Amino acid sequence: MSKIGVFICHCGENISATVDVERVAREIGGMEGVAHAIDYKYMCSDPGQTFIKEAVKKYDLDGVVVGACSPRMHEPTFRRACAEAGLNPYLCEMANLREHCSWVHEKGEETTEKAIDLVKMLVEKVKKNNPLESIKVPVTKRALVIGGGIAGIQASLDIANTGHKVILIERDPSIGGHMSQLSETFPTLDCSQCILTPRMVEVAQHPNIKLYTYAELESLEGFIGNFTAKIRLKAKSVNYSTCTGCGACIQKCPVKKIPSEFNAGLGTRTAIYVPFPQAVPNKPVIDRVNCNYYKRGACKICEKTCQVGSIEWDKEDEIISEEVGAVVLATGFDVKGTDFFPEYGYGKYKDVLTGLQFERLASASGPTFGEIRRPSDGAIPKKIVFIACAGSRDPAKGIPYCSKICCMYTAKHAMLYQHKVHDGESTVFYMDIRAGGKNYEEFVRRAIEEDTVNYVRGRVARVYEKNGKLIVKGVDTLLGGEQVEIEADMVVLATAGVANCGSEQLAQKLHVSYDPYHFFAEAHPKLKPVETNTAGIFLAGACQAPKDIPETVGMASGAAVKVAALFSNNELVREPIIAVVNRLAPPLYSTCVGCFMCETACPYNAIEHEEIKARDGSLIRTIARVNSGLCQGCGTCVAFCRSKSIDIQGYTNEQVYAEVMSLLND
Amino acid sequence: MEKLRERAAAILADGTVSLVIGYEEGTKRPRPLFCHDGESARKLIFDSRCFHNLAVYLTKKELVGNGRFAVTATISTLRSIMQLYVENQLSEDKLLILTVDLSGTLREFVTFDEISAYVEQFELKRSEREQAILTRIEGMTREERWNFWQEEMSHCFKCYACRSACPLCYCTKCVVEVNRPQWINPWPAPVANMEWHINRAMHMVGRCTACGACGDACPVGIPIDLITRKMMEDMAPEFGYIPGLPVKKGNALSTWKLDDREQFIR
Repeated sequence: MSKIGVFICHCGENISATVDVERVAREIGGMEGVAHAIDYKYMCSDPGQTFIKEAVKKYDLDGVVVGACSPRMHEPTFRRACAEAGLNPYLCEMANLREHCSWVHEKGEETTEKAIDLVKMLVEKVKKNNPLESIKVPVTKRALVIGGGIAGIQASLDIANTGHKVILIERDPSIGGHMSQLSETFPTLDCSQCILTPRMVEVAQHPNIKLYTYAELESLEGFIGNFTAKIRLKAKSVNYSTCTGCGACIQKCPVKKIPSEFNAGLGTRTAIYVPFPQAVPNKPVIDRVNCNYYKRGACKICEKTCQVGSIEWDKEDEIISEEVGAVVLATGFDVKGTDFFPEYGYGKYKDVLTGLQFERLASASGPTFGEIRRPSDGAIPKKIVFIACAGSRDPAKGIPYCSKICCMYTAKHAMLYQHKVHDGESTVFYMDIRAGGKNYEEFVRRAIEEDTVNYVRGRVARVYEKNGKLIVKGVDTLLGGEQVEIEADMVVLATAGVANCGSEQLAQKLHVSYDPYHFFAEAHPKLKPVETNTAGIFLAGACQAPKDIPETVGMASGAAVKVAALFSNNELVREPIIAVVNRLAPPLYSTCVGCFMCETACPYNAIEHEEIKARDGSLIRTIARVNSGLCQGCGTCVAFCRSKSIDIQGYTNEQVYAEVMSLLND
Repeated sequence: MEKLRERAAAILADGTVSLVIGYEEGTKRPRPLFCHDGESARKLIFDSRCFHNLAVYLTKKELVGNGRFAVTATISTLRSIMQLYVENQLSEDKLLILTVDLSGTLREFVTFDEISAYVEQFELKRSEREQAILTRIEGMTREERWNFWQEEMSHCFKCYACRSACPLCYCTKCVVEVNRPQWINPWPAPVANMEWHINRAMHMVGRCTACGACGDACPVGIPIDLITRKMMEDMAPEFGYIPGLPVKKGNALSTWKLDDREQFIR
């Protein structure tokens, strides 16, 4: 007969305030097969763990049930305690009396009875538990970083500097991301490109970093320490090994009117192009959607211009496979366009810009070489209005969150404008000024006090065009809701930061979770901000939520340390909670009949074909086998198996059935 | 029919196959025949009275052995064969199909593609009996249907003839024989009967080819074939997939495809 030890925790008063823990211990102590049952104030404390260890030895326990908090919290603690006492750790189970009982119910008889039931289920399960061994898997010490913005650059450099190889992939033709588009950065007003480009060059030249630009992740298979990434290298149509980056092709390209992505649509570019002068790599790609040759089959002017014959018309997308042990997601964010705002003209007014477009206007490398000019007529705006929280903090627009960076960059924009247009007049409409950060508040005060930016606390209801001016109708809530009307020459919307396009699909490819706004979800909001729920995949930067450069860089370094810590192990230990196909003595060998419905149902491609052969090599049967490396223990195959030939170790049919029956057989 | 006998005798004689499974005259109706030589092949018949689904024997290793074998197949049998192929239970190099088409010509198939192309010409229609009972059941309310089946299933005494007759019930250990844990109580009783029949139905969704063998085999005449048939009819338009028809690996319920209509979800 079983000798189960049951340990009921008060969790301070978290459990004992609503559950009669003494009664739970008393009643469970009377169950068949329970050799020892006690309750204690803090089971997870050192004395608490000692109770368990001593009981395992004293009563020669063959199973332990701890009725305490969530197993997510302390299952490793109690399993370790059992292991130290010589009991297989997988013979220890936890009943969640806190989250599943005491926290969600009022004090009372029924609450205690539910607690008894929860423990009883686990006691019946543990009776059927088998000792299991952890699975050891090797680690591929090479990281994949997805996204070549400042987050990806920082993470790549940090990982590479620990001596590990990094593969950095970037969707666009150049790394740099949004930071390369910025003019100056708050709160110091140092030039964004000046501090970024050295990092970009460092990435390109680092011996441990393999950079793939114009590349996207096709698929990711495998698991922590052992991923296989399929990467699509989009056809650049230019042979980078011969191209010298002279730029002659770009000058001669006849298709010149394509809105430049880098200039946020304010400038134009050619069909064969380098996104910006400081691009890394500084070699062009052909935009096949707009190129005359790909559209109509004729042109090829770039080919005639190219002195080294680098144009490759028939180059196709290439898919390469890379083995990696960890993944850092640094895919960044995007901003809403002006077309998202019907009240501000649906994007049809040329002089209503997004903050990102204003960055390009203010940037020395931008379409106006740093002069603030109206896109409509090129005039220097004398009156400018900045509208903060355009979309953000607006549940009606589906974006209830704060985009975090807008308060600061709006202050910066107003400041830059005042520095460039001395007789100009700038007004900022804001809801609240959120300037939490080192030197941030001082920066905003400087904008208001030294640069005389007019801050108006209130929302703008409407912007419309009249006689070449933009009429901004707002309200000043600090003046008792007084209506404010400004005839502006330019309006800049601090549009909401949103998840990058394709983030949902990427999350699905990687099996990482994401929030309702398609930002990737961290594993724990406080204690695991750079981890995802999928082991071995980490987050850096604004793909997790909008954030500014210092925070992004800090997070990227954090993710890099997590990767480096992972790579400091030669092998990983993982829980043996995986599916297994039963094997029996001949002539049956297994009850599996090899219909392989499990194979089509498995989301992780973990089902293999195993051939059972006789001594003479002739095939007896083909049955399913689970690849223990790939299996994630989801149990889908178990549900599909008609003959019940597959079981999840630690959650077998028999164990779960025993749990359920313990409730029904009262 | 004479050609069928000649061909069967010939392939047995030249060693192409070591066994031909077909039909012979029985006392009241045709019965299955296992021919190992030309002599027995002369007893072969193949006409409209031959409705036993011979596909049930093809997964029985003790019957078909390790060599190649032939089977005289009706359309129903061919559908079952296709589904068995989809479920990795048959391979082309072990199987030869003999059948007689509507014009009375002897046809031979070696590959599953050939079988699939041939079977696709035939629409899967309800018979008069099936139509009559299904129309009646479809007209019932949920409660009436439940009561109808409870009454029908109460006659079941768990002889498992339905399971034996079904070509797709080829598991070496059926779920009713799994006793750790004992999912289904083995004795015939109202609840235990329902446990078995609901489980059987669930195991057939997306697989049943509506050959009707289970219903034919039932000694107490429970129309159990109609449960799985109706489920197949309900499933087909949702998943664009009829078991036993086109060569598709996997199962409607175990695979996910972009073009699944899934209109029942929402």
